[in-house]
Amino acid sequence: MTLLRLENVTKRFGGILAVNQVSLEIESGQFIGIVGPNGSGKTTLFNVINGVFAPEEGSVFFEDQDITTLPPFKRAPLGIARTFQIPRPFNSATVKENVAVGAMFGTFGKETKVDQAMLEAEKIIDLVGLKQHQEKPAGILTPVEKKMMEIARALAMHPKLLLMDEAMAGMHPGDIDTMVTFLKKVAKEENIAIVAMVEHIMRAVVGMAEKVIVLHQGAKICDAETQEALQDPKVVECYLGHPPEG
Amino acid sequence: MRHQIQKYYPLIPVLAAYLVLFLIGQNVSGTWQLVATLLFYCCLGQAFNIFLGMTGYVDFGYVAFVGVGTYGMALSISRLAQYDLPGPMIIILGFLLAILLSTLLSVAVGAVALRLRGAYFAIATIGVNEGFRYLIEGARIWNGSEGIIFFSQLNEILGSEAASSLSNYWADIITLFIAALAAFITLFYMRSKIGFALTALREDEDAAKVMGINVTKFKILAFITSASFAGLLGASSWALKTPYVFPPEVFEIHYTIEAIIIVLLGGAGTLLGPVFGGLIYGLSKYFLSIIVPGFQLLIFAPVIIIIIVAFPEGVVGVWKSKIKNEHLKKIII
Repeated sequence: MTLLRLENVTKRFGGILAVNQVSLEIESGQFIGIVGPNGSGKTTLFNVINGVFAPEEGSVFFEDQDITTLPPFKRAPLGIARTFQIPRPFNSATVKENVAVGAMFGTFGKETKVDQAMLEAEKIIDLVGLKQHQEKPAGILTPVEKKMMEIARALAMHPKLLLMDEAMAGMHPGDIDTMVTFLKKVAKEENIAIVAMVEHIMRAVVGMAEKVIVLHQGAKICDAETQEALQDPKVVECYLGHPPEG
Repeated sequence: MRHQIQKYYPLIPVLAAYLVLFLIGQNVSGTWQLVATLLFYCCLGQAFNIFLGMTGYVDFGYVAFVGVGTYGMALSISRLAQYDLPGPMIIILGFLLAILLSTLLSVAVGAVALRLRGAYFAIATIGVNEGFRYLIEGARIWNGSEGIIFFSQLNEILGSEAASSLSNYWADIITLFIAALAAFITLFYMRSKIGFALTALREDEDAAKVMGINVTKFKILAFITSASFAGLLGASSWALKTPYVFPPEVFEIHYTIEAIIIVLLGGAGTLLGPVFGGLIYGLSKYFLSIIVPGFQLLIFAPVIIIIIVAFPEGVVGVWKSKIKNEHLKKIII
């Protein structure tokens, strides 16, 4: 089944066309990379998908339900989770409490009691390897640990679709490989579709994405299998400029 | 079950502090007035903390809720005295009316102002208090600027002896119970999903939203809860103690400032903070006005600035982070 469908989505900020007539489809369990240079509209596209901005034109469907105008807090329980480019932990709360918030208000939030959410949080924290930090306030974690915590927090929501905004930027290549392996495993077990947005960490994209969507100046210029997309002349041009004449 | 009860252990130090206060006032002659004042400040802090401490939003119009609560009690006594109702029932109706009025006002203010954030919210609320005062005076609602004097009606419904013991003693006991109840509700919120939602929105409202938290709903919930306790406090600690109410006195912005100071001094968002804040503030105000009458504010202002700069997390906030003992850690929150 198609999990997420965007139809001709357009989002403007004043005179700037941030997202221009983008249509795309994501199947459940798929691993997709959204690639594009700085300013190509990736983050805006994410914000349209999870409801921070409503698009001016076009529609967003999640599991065939029109969610174009639904506010973010109503989309999260449907199964849309995200992480931020710069981690945004709830600083004064402990790591465990942060992750528990995900379990409490995510997909199964309504049925989850506080105690259950805490147990769930412990399990997920263990999975991402932050066990020794779980009682510490999230504010004192290192940037990479904060990223891991955000991923744990999103996974605790039991999403069907996980949007990752530059999740691997600033990470050590070795850590990226570990993370990709981990995410692939979890996504497979829980049937989560992951949309990872990357600016230039191709290592992550090549390693995990089945499909790559390339954005350039707000428009979709390529939507293909990963290897194919990386060969696409339009993609090469947008990243490296025009090939020399002759 | 045991686990459920353990969750409420942090109430022990709070209740112990109130009990000690009560016993001092009861047994040391001449201290009841001071104890009553301290209870007022602790209760004010405890009520305001539910909003300011848990959401991080600063409401500069908070005293308006205390004000309408005072009016609730005043209206109930002054208007119902002519009917043949038992005195205690009129008092209870007064408390209910106080809750009703403060809830209505908080819903009206919250539904509009809580859509604003941070400083914008604070600015919007400054107008509420002043606006409400001038509305009462200008539109001559509830007797306008003449206020309501209900001393004789209070005597009429209860008898002069009971009325005087209500004003001088039982009103303060009721304030103590309101403070304890506010502490209980604070802890109940902290231990439930409501507390997690409030912490999340206090730390990062946008992140909270995309995690499925209806931030406006939770902010309004905290606002209404906090406002209804303020209403109750106005009804007990104000209306029952001084049986008259004039708009310029109850809608006095400096009570809001005092509430903010108490919460920040003790530790915003902590359970025990308002007790410490209320005691420190109340005691220092009392003694400074004895030692240097007339100059207390001049000395008090820099002291508060120093404390708030040195301990931005408040007394209990700092204390909490220094505790090593595991058992103590669980009850000092």
